[in-house]
Amino acid sequence: MKLILNFFIAVAGIILASSLPLLITGWLVGEWRWRVYFDSIGASLQELWPLGEIAFFNNRIQQFVPLFPNIFEYIIYSLVILFLALLLAVAVSLILTIVTMLLSDRARERVKMALYFLESIPDLLIIMLAQLAVVMFFKQTGVLISKIAAIGDDRIYWLPVLCLAILPTIELYRLAMLTFQEEERQMYVDLARALGFSKVYIVLVHMFRNAVISVFFQSKKTMWFMLSNLFVLELMFNLPGIMLFLSDNMYPLAFLVAVFSFFLPMFFLYSFGEWYFVRRLRGKEAV
Amino acid sequence: MWKQPYFVIGFSILAFFLAGSFVYEWIWGNVPRQVYYIMEGGRAVEGAPISPNWQFPLGSDQYGYDMLGKLMLGAKYTILAALAVGVLRMLIAVPLGYILGTYLDKHRKWISSLADSMHYIPLTLFAAFVLTPVLWMPQDGFTTTIWERIGVQVVIMALLTVPIVAVLIANEAALLRDKEFILAAKTLGAGRFRIIRKHLYPQMREKIAVLYGQQVMETFIVFAHLGLLNLFLGGTKVSYDPMFGDPPMSISYEWAGLFGSTFRYLQGAPWLPLAPVLFIALGIFAVSLMMEGYLRSKNPKVKKKRIAAAKDSVVEWNREQLREGMVRLKAKEMTETEK
Repeated sequence: MKLILNFFIAVAGIILASSLPLLITGWLVGEWRWRVYFDSIGASLQELWPLGEIAFFNNRIQQFVPLFPNIFEYIIYSLVILFLALLLAVAVSLILTIVTMLLSDRARERVKMALYFLESIPDLLIIMLAQLAVVMFFKQTGVLISKIAAIGDDRIYWLPVLCLAILPTIELYRLAMLTFQEEERQMYVDLARALGFSKVYIVLVHMFRNAVISVFFQSKKTMWFMLSNLFVLELMFNLPGIMLFLSDNMYPLAFLVAVFSFFLPMFFLYSFGEWYFVRRLRGKEAV
Repeated sequence: MWKQPYFVIGFSILAFFLAGSFVYEWIWGNVPRQVYYIMEGGRAVEGAPISPNWQFPLGSDQYGYDMLGKLMLGAKYTILAALAVGVLRMLIAVPLGYILGTYLDKHRKWISSLADSMHYIPLTLFAAFVLTPVLWMPQDGFTTTIWERIGVQVVIMALLTVPIVAVLIANEAALLRDKEFILAAKTLGAGRFRIIRKHLYPQMREKIAVLYGQQVMETFIVFAHLGLLNLFLGGTKVSYDPMFGDPPMSISYEWAGLFGSTFRYLQGAPWLPLAPVLFIALGIFAVSLMMEGYLRSKNPKVKKKRIAAAKDSVVEWNREQLREGMVRLKAKEMTETEK
């Protein structure tokens, strides 16, 4: 029930945001254009209704094309890259965390400091360095590791996924390190150690279960940054994804469609995760 | 704070850029030096864009302007704007967060989930979407001045994530409010405002400082992203000439514009887009250094080793006692079985 309420509140928030530029244009000339704003919201909602009839002007072929089902191709490509990168980031950061937790205290502190400063690298720098490196490698050896831009209906996967995954990996790694260290101070870890379990076993089985929940709840902000990064990535690699589509069509309706296309999967992912973890926590309390 | 090396290094990087920017303009004026080609032994060896060398540490752009000069001139716009966005955002979000966390606590739940919906809108996209009417030059030129536009951009960018920051602070304040010392203050008759001013704020000062640093770093990144979309700080000059239109240009030499208008040259002249992005990275790095230094000055690290050693000796003593007890017990058992 709460879930449905949250869903509708979030949808309302996005719809309210979709027509904001009109309000700001009015604000620039010194007037409040509430009427225009709400009219625009109403108009976008009305246009949204018969979903099959929405048409967009396609710059590449210079004519109007219906939005559905063409848009799914864009959306699926974007989501595939986003979720592949997310999976990669989660897997790599958790493995690295577990390895680091087995190291000594001092080594851990150094790793944490290094991560903290690595986080300040802008995503643009990573993308550009990756593209330069691929070209350099190609010039030196004649082997093209990956294409650095998509042309037409090309689909490139692994280089963009790698570029997109690097920053979230660092961020999640640091987050997981903090959570694991917090968890290490709990009583049950002392108990397990006193019972003679090895460090590896304690980290992998006992701490992992509890820390992952906490990392999950804190990962929302990482996802948020990833969305921004995805946007930049699609522009730099010229990937035919939903973000590139949106930057060609900057108006309220397109904004709504694009935001909803990744809002829905992400919202369900997070709601499901929340429901699952909360249920598990409750189950534990009952036992 | 000033004794922490991290803080001092970070601060000097930012101060160097800012001071350098103003000094550069004061000495050489606001146009960087321009060289069309480099002569060597009476022959032109390289035309613009010139690659980095000793005379031009960061090379020059496609019109022959010195990149380092451009970056120094632009430093003040970018850094001051990023700092201003952070300040303004915190100035609005902190009081709002406290009000939300204390006076409007009943409504906190649904306001939180409303602000939460912002997490599904990529920040860059949202900023680009909202700022386009402000920054993109209309067909008949701008009607606003550059400082007005910078001001408007700063205000809008500050407002964009106010809901998220305010909810963050409200939740933090709500957590603190259940602590004993607040309850004690309440029983003694403190009003809500006094609790905010005397108890909540001092408790959260460090968190707020860190939050401010994060906002500044985030703003740097968003500036760079907007540059990619040809939305530059202080407006984008667009040429509407259908035949000989120049590409969109930044009006000042701020870093996002230097990056955004040159990233197409990445393969041909990599120093053009790389230099501004490196400078942005340096700015972000400086802020994170300052944050780390600030935190360290507030809670200096306790000498962990000594404590660990002390603990160990206690454990050792306990173990010794236990062993002795066990031996005694065993001996007792042995004597009993002998009997």
